[in-house]
Amino acid sequence: MKERYLRFFGPRAEADVDDELRFHFDMRVRDYMARGMSEPDARAAVVLRLGDVQRVRDECVAITHRRERQTTRAQLLDALVQDVRFAFRTLGRQKGWTAVAVLTLALGIGANTAVYSVVSNLVLHPLPYPDANRLVLPFLEPSEGNSTGIRVSVSPSPIDVKAWIGARSFERVQAVLENDVTVERRGQAAWALHAAYVQPAFPAFAGRQPIAGRMFTDAEVASREPVALLSEGVWRARFGSDTSVLGSVVTIDDKAHTIIGVLPSSLRPPRLGRAPADIWLPLEITPDKYGMAVIGRLRPGVTSVDAARELDSLSARAATAAGAKAPPRFRARLNSPADMVSFKESLVMLSGAVALVLLIACANVAHLLLSRSATRGRELAIRAALGAGSARLSRQLLTESLVLSGAGCVGGVLVGWLGLRAVVALRPESLEALRMAELDASALWASVALSVVTGIAFGLFAAIQSARQSTHESLKAGALSTSTARSHQRLRSLLVVSEMALSTTLLVAASLLIRSVVHLQTTDPGFEPTGLYSIKPGLPEKRYPNEATRRAFYEQMAERALRLPGVQGVTIAAGAPPGFSFLIGALHIEGEEAPKPHTTSLIRYNGVGPDYFRTMGMRLVAGATFSDSTGKAPELVVNEGFAAKHWPGQSAVGKRVKVIRYDGSGTWSAVVGVVGDAATGGLTDQRSSPVLYVPRADYDNLPNVILRTGPRFAGLPALRGIVTSIDARLPPATTTNIQSAMAATAAGPRFIMALLVAFTVLALALAAVGLYGVMSYGVAQRTREIGIRIALGATRGAIARGIVFSALTLAAAGALLGLGGAWWATKLLDQMLYGVPRTDPASFVAGGVVLLGTALLASVVPMNRAAAVDPIIAMRAD
Amino acid sequence: MRDPSIEFLKGTLDLMILKTLSWAPAHGYGIARWIEHCTGDVLQVEEGSLYPALHKLEERGFIAAEWGVSDNNRRAKFYRLTAAGKKQLVTSRDYWARFTLAVTKVLETAPAGI
Repeated sequence: MKERYLRFFGPRAEADVDDELRFHFDMRVRDYMARGMSEPDARAAVVLRLGDVQRVRDECVAITHRRERQTTRAQLLDALVQDVRFAFRTLGRQKGWTAVAVLTLALGIGANTAVYSVVSNLVLHPLPYPDANRLVLPFLEPSEGNSTGIRVSVSPSPIDVKAWIGARSFERVQAVLENDVTVERRGQAAWALHAAYVQPAFPAFAGRQPIAGRMFTDAEVASREPVALLSEGVWRARFGSDTSVLGSVVTIDDKAHTIIGVLPSSLRPPRLGRAPADIWLPLEITPDKYGMAVIGRLRPGVTSVDAARELDSLSARAATAAGAKAPPRFRARLNSPADMVSFKESLVMLSGAVALVLLIACANVAHLLLSRSATRGRELAIRAALGAGSARLSRQLLTESLVLSGAGCVGGVLVGWLGLRAVVALRPESLEALRMAELDASALWASVALSVVTGIAFGLFAAIQSARQSTHESLKAGALSTSTARSHQRLRSLLVVSEMALSTTLLVAASLLIRSVVHLQTTDPGFEPTGLYSIKPGLPEKRYPNEATRRAFYEQMAERALRLPGVQGVTIAAGAPPGFSFLIGALHIEGEEAPKPHTTSLIRYNGVGPDYFRTMGMRLVAGATFSDSTGKAPELVVNEGFAAKHWPGQSAVGKRVKVIRYDGSGTWSAVVGVVGDAATGGLTDQRSSPVLYVPRADYDNLPNVILRTGPRFAGLPALRGIVTSIDARLPPATTTNIQSAMAATAAGPRFIMALLVAFTVLALALAAVGLYGVMSYGVAQRTREIGIRIALGATRGAIARGIVFSALTLAAAGALLGLGGAWWATKLLDQMLYGVPRTDPASFVAGGVVLLGTALLASVVPMNRAAAVDPIIAMRAD
Repeated sequence: MRDPSIEFLKGTLDLMILKTLSWAPAHGYGIARWIEHCTGDVLQVEEGSLYPALHKLEERGFIAAEWGVSDNNRRAKFYRLTAAGKKQLVTSRDYWARFTLAVTKVLETAPAGI
């Protein structure tokens, strides 16, 4: 054993081998001499006999080195295993402490992993295509822009798309049209599938290729070959992954198609949050194909401004070629894929909030490690006295921190996975894109890294602290020396103040969102949604080809609806709540400057029947509603917002407005009435945005029938029945309970609010635990002092007040910092608030008050403990 | 000494070393001399094979080394058999016995009818 030890640190392997061989040589010589040789002869004979000694030596040295390396490795591994085992044992002894630490880390890491997974999937990598940072989705917007405050994207016309395909700013441009189709297979019931019509290069554009069969070719598209590719999902679910399906024929929308391949389920159409495509069909860009989505990959170095300019000039040229005299009334706008996520700002805000939660969690773990190193002072001192080196002890403490972080990470993955599943499962309809969220490894690693760094940093800090104090002093004092304790306590107070500050910021943000959602749900929408229903039949163009046939159908529908039991009123309108309808054109207000020719903007309008306002329960503010039920009179009704914008301080009734339509036509109409502002676009609608009501529903786009019902109304099935009673071959009509649909429009903001409130509660709970820990530790440290003060006549009330006072001092300092932080941080919230300014004083007061209340609660137990100190026991201790 | 049949036997050096050490710990030279002595100097142990073999056996844990003092008062490296080495010796010896028996049978059997 001694030899091993020596070899390990002292003599080198080479010397050993040399010694061994020299001994052998000398012995051989002695042997030869004993047989009668002279010494020189014996030496010569042995040299001859031994041959190439150098080779033997090298070989032996190499073997020895190899063995030493293995031994070192084994010893290190052994020490590590020992450390880890020891760490588990020590942590297991303090189950409560360990549980709190691991749970804290798990919650912090889990919440972050879940939220950053969503951000990563929806904001950072919304489309799983290669070179995603150069992807843009071109849309159209009116040439005068969009002043309605509502996000509207106008799909390019087929002429535009055709012109854009060859744009030089892009490496490639792809058009995709999505549609629901009916697929029939011989002997089976028809399936309703979601189809994506694409160009042959689309899978390659998206970095995918067929997993079976092949993609269709340009030639097949040009010759209108009826071919189709299945999605992997449908192939597996409906065809049992059978490759013999290739070449078979299915009927898609009454037309036989040959299945030629299968595309992977990872291939997605470039729209976020939509259902994945079930079947892929060839897209031929013909003039009737409205509603195509366009996606392009910019050439490296091309800006989206340049690209938009090129698209505009291509559109202009195509329009001229198509015989248009006027220049296009639209301009291209390039969205990045992440722009398509309407709640991007909310996600950014939530990721900020959850980062604060992780910071608080890390601060708490730091607390826990510090308080542990304090109570373990004696144990470490004894181990040092027994000969454990300070390096060994530090390594042990570090191993413990890492084991702790490791356990926290495992818990965090679990919490994150569950949390993400919950968020995706509970998503409201308006946040449909959330379904794309999957657990993201990079998000997980970021959180893990932060918590491991915290563990190491504070584990190391504790190790250095304990190494610094002398063994003797520790053994004597039993715990940390006074100066170390004081520096610990300062650091811990600092940590608590930061936790309080971060919690306050979150509290203010949560209060703001809560007030905003309350405002959304309690403010009068300007009409009466209770008992309001709408129905929209799907009239096929083939059988209802013109306005007359459609109008006849609608009038019959309205008449039958009015005869249903419980129906009090019926009207027909282009747009029914919750929803927007727009007119793309220009407004000429009499007395104001005429709009520039060939310009367009987005105008909120609704084409309504004469009974619309009464049926909706809207308030008539001035004038009257439409006088003429035929809708032929040149009359207009505006809302208060419109009147206030164009004729502030004047009566709007009698004013004249010319609506210049998309095709340039327009007539002067007089305003006959002003109605109250109404949130017809949903609860999040900007109520006062100007709206124009024209006295006729437009039958080019199918309007809605709106019903005002009373208590005896039989419900939606009865409503659907009237459509089939008129024409039994029609598909089921779209029906809406306006009251519940309106409530659902607040679901998105409410969901975001609920998430923020959850994170805030978590943050506050962690901060309270932190404060509780610091106060308890402080009381434990000062037990003797408190005992002396009580013995000297201090009342228990005074002692208790002192403890609460110091807790509230920490909390108040944190609250002040946090309120300052909130003043700045609520900028992130600005776009998410409805009816509440981001500097809302009530929310700031609420944030501060809740924090102080929590701090008070957290200090109750330490306060009671301090007040209950028995002076005799306290002074006898230690 | 350069007899090819003796060369062939070099693979058995490990076995002989283990057997030698089963009597008592010995240094490399002692092992060589013992083998030479047992075989009446028929087998001359080559140093070029002996020492690498010893180090390899040590690496595999069959023998352990310790520095001690030789009978002529010189510092020498003594090898001894470990528990694993003892097991290895039993296994190797069985194998060797079966092997030599098999070879012997081949050498002693003549085809019938010649």
